Amino acid sequence: MFYLKDVTIKRGLKTVFYNWSAKIENSKVTIISGKNGVGKSTLLRAIAGMIPIEKGIVKNNNNEIFKDQIKWGQNLIYIDSKNGLSKDLTVLENLKTWSEMRGWKTSNDDIQKALDSVEMLNHKNLYISQCSEGLKKRAALSRLYLSLLFNVEFWLLDEPTNELDQKSVILFNKLIQRFLENKGTVLLVCHELKLFDFNYELLNLDLLKK
Amino acid sequence: MSLQSSFIQIFISHIKREFLINFRSLVDVTSITSFMILIVTLFVLGIGPFEEKLRLISNGIFWIGLILAIIPSLEKTLQRDYENGWLDQAITSPTPMELVLLSKSLAYWLIVIIPLLISLPLFIILLNINLKLIPWLLISILVGGLSISLIGIIGSALTLGAKRGNILLPILIIPLIIPISIFGIGISEAVRINETPLDNLFLLIGFTLIYMVISPFISAFLIRIAISR
Repeated sequence: MFYLKDVTIKRGLKTVFYNWSAKIENSKVTIISGKNGVGKSTLLRAIAGMIPIEKGIVKNNNNEIFKDQIKWGQNLIYIDSKNGLSKDLTVLENLKTWSEMRGWKTSNDDIQKALDSVEMLNHKNLYISQCSEGLKKRAALSRLYLSLLFNVEFWLLDEPTNELDQKSVILFNKLIQRFLENKGTVLLVCHELKLFDFNYELLNLDLLKK
Repeated sequence: MSLQSSFIQIFISHIKREFLINFRSLVDVTSITSFMILIVTLFVLGIGPFEEKLRLISNGIFWIGLILAIIPSLEKTLQRDYENGWLDQAITSPTPMELVLLSKSLAYWLIVIIPLLISLPLFIILLNINLKLIPWLLISILVGGLSISLIGIIGSALTLGAKRGNILLPILIIPLIIPISIFGIGISEAVRINETPLDNLFLLIGFTLIYMVISPFISAFLIRIAISR
């Protein structure tokens, strides 16, 4: 069980969440929905550890996640609209340097498979500056495949399907299915719920924040 | 076999990444040195054809050229990775941010210093530097350059997301660079007047070691603030 209890999250001077609690089921997909500006991305960034939580507890299976940042870092993948791809590197180099940064020893075979999982194998030598938004997003999502090999428990995805075409959405669905089989937990910010063919819990911030 | 790499391996892979990015466009790498050549040339032309005058101030000119040439490129070191989200990825990874930043400043140092060493003969001719000064000049820019890049990372982290970062950054970091330049110039100056340069060298090394310890922590702290905004 993953839960937030009485958390207060500030973004700059604005208090986005005040004494707010929520529960998230492990090994399931939870879609965070709500209108623009309600704090979906802020919540996700706070859980990822980028925005400090001023007050309150965030626990995963009774462990406070921010007690051990390094362990929490091993457990999560965060992807948002910025993608984190360097435009001077190719798709392949970006994935490689990213996995090296996390300290993962990946074989070339793994990298190839990861690129294949989002059908980027034909574009692997493209520079990111030459890629369309959709290709960039797919290059970023190829990390998800790698994370399947390294026992990552959480995927925090901020609007991952925005730039994807229909075929890529199917590939994305497949990745999520595989992750759920591995007992992974997915937190997803998304507006178009009909894209997904898996069961999900809904965390509607409009209703929960009142 | 463990699937987790050691910190040293992560460190080296970071430096490799910086090299890949920077050496892809040679403009980035050569711009610092070519800018420095221009500054030094302007100084030399401004002084006029007086060999005696030039010999007195050539060390100072070299250091001013180095500092002025490095500053415009400092902002980019973190700004690029901040904008494309790489720092977000680094902060949500199991690797400590401090390690990432230390490798970044070391990589930046190498990227600045390699073209500079290649073009050193040109500076020696331009500034009419005495041959016995050359080894000391070399040591002083190697050590001083490392300090400057460690300080530069702090400045770059401080101005992340600031609108006028390119103006703010020199104002913030030049005061920190001043001691480095004093001891750096002091080394060659002491050799020129036949005294021992070791005092200045040890002070310079001491400063560099202090910055090497504190710079990654300060800049990691600043980056966390920048990202949480």
